[in-house]
Amino acid sequence: MQLFDPQSVETVMSKFSIEQKNNGSTEVFYLKGFLDAHTAPELESAIAGAIAAGQHRLVVNFNDLEYISSAGLGVFMVFIEEVRATGGDIKLTAMKQKVYTVFDLLGFPMLFDITEKEEEALAKFSA
Amino acid sequence: MIIARYRTATSFCTEDRMSKTASFIHERLTASGDTTELERIRQFVQDKAREFGFSEQGIHKIALAVDEACSNLIRHSYHLDHAREFFVDISPQDDDALVIEILDNGTSFDPLTVPAPDLNQYAAQHRKGGFGVHIIRMVMDAVEYFPAETSERGNPSQMNRLRLVKKLN
Repeated sequence: MQLFDPQSVETVMSKFSIEQKNNGSTEVFYLKGFLDAHTAPELESAIAGAIAAGQHRLVVNFNDLEYISSAGLGVFMVFIEEVRATGGDIKLTAMKQKVYTVFDLLGFPMLFDITEKEEEALAKFSA
Repeated sequence: MIIARYRTATSFCTEDRMSKTASFIHERLTASGDTTELERIRQFVQDKAREFGFSEQGIHKIALAVDEACSNLIRHSYHLDHAREFFVDISPQDDDALVIEILDNGTSFDPLTVPAPDLNQYAAQHRKGGFGVHIIRMVMDAVEYFPAETSERGNPSQMNRLRLVKKLN
């Protein structure tokens, strides 16, 4: 008999994941799924962990991100000044139009370096 | 609880307008003060907006605005208390607009009093919140807030009501 397991339902429902790749002096975060007020804390702790480990050149790749709300955007606001103060940056890349629209609505392109391709973001760090 | 609102038949409509006529009248989702509910809430309004005839862009804007409103409510008014409930009501307004009402019995707070965010200032302060209301105002055609009257909290007519309207065109 199959028992209802709320934990497994929760896991399926979350639909958000992060993969990290260290690219020499740069940490790249690959976001997948839906980034909202429920899943944003996961991203916040991943970025905080990388910064605590001494990484200040961060690239966030949005290629597989389907949705973002302001809770997701807020995560980048928390860390941007901190990484820039040490000569680093958080560069955002490969957004779907739907995701970019939300950044654009709030004027984020004025504050953040947003590139079309990951290679461009990486190249800016090595320039 | 279902509040019924009736629409008159639109048999005289042109074919184009008929295609925009929703097959639903009024629907309600009951949600709890838990951020895990956001996905279900977005799905609910997306399905209704699609059924009403909105483009994918319009559907996204409606889901985003409702997500922002419910996120604020769940976190700042209900303080993630999943034992507390609120309602998301959705109904067509004539044939050309969708009305979404979020009803809660938390402390009344008019989101329309929140000033537009200053990004540079927010970054300097490491602030991660305060954008939701701005997004709601930008993507919806009308936003109104009706605070609950002081007595009889829990009665749907005595709940705070955030009313969002999105026109089809």
